[in-house]
Amino acid sequence: MSKLAGKKRPLDAGEKAILATKKKIKGTDEVLAQVDKLCSLAKKEPARAKTLAELHLPQACREVIEKDADAVLDEVEASLYTVAASILRGEGFSYDVPLRTKGNQMYVPELDRIVLKDACGQRPFANTQTNRKAVITTRVLGLVHELCRKRIHVTKRDLFYTDVKLFQDQLQSDNVLEDVACMLGCTRSSLHVVASEKGVVVGRLTFREDGDLINCQRMGVGGKAVPPNVDKVTEIRSDAMFILLVEKDAAFMRLAEDRFYNTYPCIILTAKGQPDVATRIFLKRLRDVLRIPVLALVDADPYGLKILSVYMKGSMNMSYDSSNLTTPDIKWLGVRPSDLDRFNIPEQCRLPMTDEDIKTGKRLLEEEFVQANPAWVRELEIMVTSKVKAEIQALSSFGFQYLSQVYLPLKLQEGDWI
Amino acid sequence: MGRKADALQQKSPAEFFADNRNIAGFDNPGKCLYTTVRELVENSLDAAEDAGKLPEIDITIEEISQKRLNSIRGISNHDRLDEELYQDHETDEAKKKRLAKEAKELEKLEKAMTKKGEGTAAVDAKRKEIEARRAAAASKATKTFYKITVKDNGTGMPHEDIPGLLGRVLSSTKYGVKQTRGKFGLGAKMALIWSKLSTGLPIEVWSACRKQAFVSYYKLDIDIHKNEPNIHAVRQDANLNHWQGSELSVTILGSWQYYRAKVIRYLRMIAVITPYAQFRFAYRAEDERNSVHFCFVRRTDKMPAPPTETQHHPASVDLELVKRLLAATKAPTLRAFLTREFCNISDVYARRLISEMQAGVDAGTSPRAVSASQATRLHQILHEAKFADPSGSHLSPAGEYNLRLGITKELHPDMVATYQGDARVLDGHAFVVEAAVSVGGRDIKPGINVNRFANRIPLLFEGGSDVITRTAAKRINWASYKINQATDRVGVFVSIVSTKIPYKGAGKEYISDDMEALVGAVKQAIMHCCLQLKSKIARKLVAREQQARRRNLARHVPDAAAAVFRVLRAMADDDEDEDGAMRPPGPKRARLVAAEDLLAPVRRGEVVEATLARKLTEHVERIDTDMGLEYQMQLGAAAGARVAAYLMPRLPQHGYGPPLASAACILRLLQAE
Repeated sequence: MSKLAGKKRPLDAGEKAILATKKKIKGTDEVLAQVDKLCSLAKKEPARAKTLAELHLPQACREVIEKDADAVLDEVEASLYTVAASILRGEGFSYDVPLRTKGNQMYVPELDRIVLKDACGQRPFANTQTNRKAVITTRVLGLVHELCRKRIHVTKRDLFYTDVKLFQDQLQSDNVLEDVACMLGCTRSSLHVVASEKGVVVGRLTFREDGDLINCQRMGVGGKAVPPNVDKVTEIRSDAMFILLVEKDAAFMRLAEDRFYNTYPCIILTAKGQPDVATRIFLKRLRDVLRIPVLALVDADPYGLKILSVYMKGSMNMSYDSSNLTTPDIKWLGVRPSDLDRFNIPEQCRLPMTDEDIKTGKRLLEEEFVQANPAWVRELEIMVTSKVKAEIQALSSFGFQYLSQVYLPLKLQEGDWI
Repeated sequence: MGRKADALQQKSPAEFFADNRNIAGFDNPGKCLYTTVRELVENSLDAAEDAGKLPEIDITIEEISQKRLNSIRGISNHDRLDEELYQDHETDEAKKKRLAKEAKELEKLEKAMTKKGEGTAAVDAKRKEIEARRAAAASKATKTFYKITVKDNGTGMPHEDIPGLLGRVLSSTKYGVKQTRGKFGLGAKMALIWSKLSTGLPIEVWSACRKQAFVSYYKLDIDIHKNEPNIHAVRQDANLNHWQGSELSVTILGSWQYYRAKVIRYLRMIAVITPYAQFRFAYRAEDERNSVHFCFVRRTDKMPAPPTETQHHPASVDLELVKRLLAATKAPTLRAFLTREFCNISDVYARRLISEMQAGVDAGTSPRAVSASQATRLHQILHEAKFADPSGSHLSPAGEYNLRLGITKELHPDMVATYQGDARVLDGHAFVVEAAVSVGGRDIKPGINVNRFANRIPLLFEGGSDVITRTAAKRINWASYKINQATDRVGVFVSIVSTKIPYKGAGKEYISDDMEALVGAVKQAIMHCCLQLKSKIARKLVAREQQARRRNLARHVPDAAAAVFRVLRAMADDDEDEDGAMRPPGPKRARLVAAEDLLAPVRRGEVVEATLARKLTEHVERIDTDMGLEYQMQLGAAAGARVAAYLMPRLPQHGYGPPLASAACILRLLQAE
């Protein structure tokens, strides 16, 4: 039937173009040749990235490390013990809390990420400005103590609900939680407090979570939720050649359903928009353990690039923990502004950029991490001057499976990442 | 269809304004009432200020029902024969509907009454709402008329001039380069036209000039077609009380119901900007219970200097004006013409201008001999040449003193700051911006309340795109002056005076927002006021914090004590466990315990949660006392010790004490002998 229909009806120009591009795609091995090269390059890199201490920066910086429950307990107990002693001496109490403000952060080009400087703020109890914060800090320390003793994990929301009257809104308890992590010199996940899961992973990956064997190839179409406490993940194994980082749930679903990872061995990961801490840590772990390249598929708009930058350079809010959260070497596979013309994406799928978009784009152009990569600067300039953006879904205008069957294989085959 | 030839018709100015009443602010009956009051009050203010007297203005609005108006007009009141003929006739169906609706509402009200009890606020409000709706429905059908009488103590009008002054549109004593309230020569005459259109009743005028033995009385209206006064009655009464001033009385169609708030707000605002005037206001309703009267008392006898007439600035004249001035001038030569008719042209400069014209004229040419093309050239050179800006000395702003007094007397704010900017220039016209910002006070809503004044009259309508409103709302960062834009009761008062206010729109109700010089001046004036307030507000906030500090600090003592003690207790319990099943203390804590053992007292029960709470409370109280002391010290250092002092009048039993000499002055205290 279909053959007959194909013969009778002449193809229109668009369909011809699709067919032509489809023909360009060669066998799986040839498609993966470029990826293979990149993979071996990644394996050759030194296993350990440079650390802050090795750099001997003129400025002292603060970084936190992963600590086990006992170490955290000791830190909490020590600081509360000091507080108790100070109260009993009749001196009230006060905390020295590292500042997490923008003025106390800097970008270190050698590490290619944002780190925290070592300025500290006083938080005395007997001061109207800091009184509430000091009390909340005390309360959070107490709660963390309880969690570490019982070795259980709770979400940030749980933590907030233990004393709603004092915390007033979750923003306050969340903020103090980051302060506490910073103050104790450990990562937030060491405090046994996690954010609710947001990321999803699927593909050629097996690991153990709290002893249970997880096979991400047998997770159906929905994929496996990224475990919120990554410290319980062990025995990461995979035969994938690359990790495909996807911005959006929709594209992720398409790839999962088409079993993209079966044809081209890979691990597909998404955080459904702005990445959360757990997904970032998980990506970092995968990359460190498997040592395979990470390719990113994001929208061709400033927001997509912004998300990429959070994976790569870290966010302002979590800069104290940037060493555990950032994966510097991510390749921008698509959808890039230059792709819009290369793949003849029709006009109706391109959106005009708003003033806010253009402003964000121009601001990105001035950022050091973008300037470090001339190819990125070129792409961003195309975006800002053409004032057009497009989402990954724009590719669906050629058919829903265009993304998994044509676009991505072609990109991989040509090694078209920057 | 133009079978009938399009006859060329001419309209008199009065006809034009009768057709386009909205230009002068006579849009609807309510607005007409408001504008009539406003125009008459402003004329009265001008008259009193011209006479150099402190204005005393009585405003009376008398409600007149259709019936009473008919008897005044001499039309008999007829009973309706054919009810269905009338607009407000209610068909049976509509009546049934209305009655059903009313019954339903009544039922609801009764239910609410039995539920909540008679007299609760909600029930009362509901009942009032129903009554108000019924009253509104009833009054919709009947038109109400108002007799507006405004009496002042101003210059009065010469007997012969009265018909011309009031009965001819676009006749004014106020044309010229001078800051005036009225401008068009329209105000009172528009009221006259409106009365003629709506009631047909003539205006009544009483007036007496200074030391005039008689009081002129006129009853007149306006012949709209001819733009001429039409006198009904005229006489001269004996001026027994040596009265000086004018009284105008006009009967118009209006709507007090909808514009009551506007009229009162207008009077309040004019009282703010002219605190040296006294306004007595009375509203007499047909139903005595609805009458209102109040008085805005005079707070000062210091009047701003009256504005003086000035010459045209060269940059502000248009070609037609140049030609008119050339024709009208008394100057014998062109040089004299330039120096006399314009400001900022010196003798030398006039010569330079004339020689620069190169149009065949010299300094000695008679202005009347200047040809049309030469006048055009003169106009051109006047606009191209450089002149000093007009000085603004001819303007008459209200003054910071008066503005502050006016605001204080009407709003009773917690604090006020005022500022008067320098004279600036817009298209050859000088202008001065004055501003006041008040915080707190009576009858003022939370948020930014903008009050606009142009040439010392309040502007109440079309505030949305006005330069003052927009500047206050968009261009001032209130938070940086410690003012909360949403919750603080802020009054912004900005007054612009100029020989030409750059109004926008036909109604002259708002000032355009697109002139940089004006925007800058308004913004600067408001910011200056805010800056003055900032330190005061900051001081107040600190004082408030002083009072609340102890309570605020003590509030969380139980929380902190409980959180700390729980961990302390847990540590103590851990160590007590001798089996080793519990974990040993970490290295950091072990070091701390070795230095000072707190856990033993906890275990012995010597330190409990209450101990921590007590210690914390003691600490907070000590800190609070310290900070309170420090605050008092700073306050003392800044303000010095204050002693209330009183001035006593010197009476016969008082005498001066011995002189007390100091470096600065010699004092002699009053003493009772």
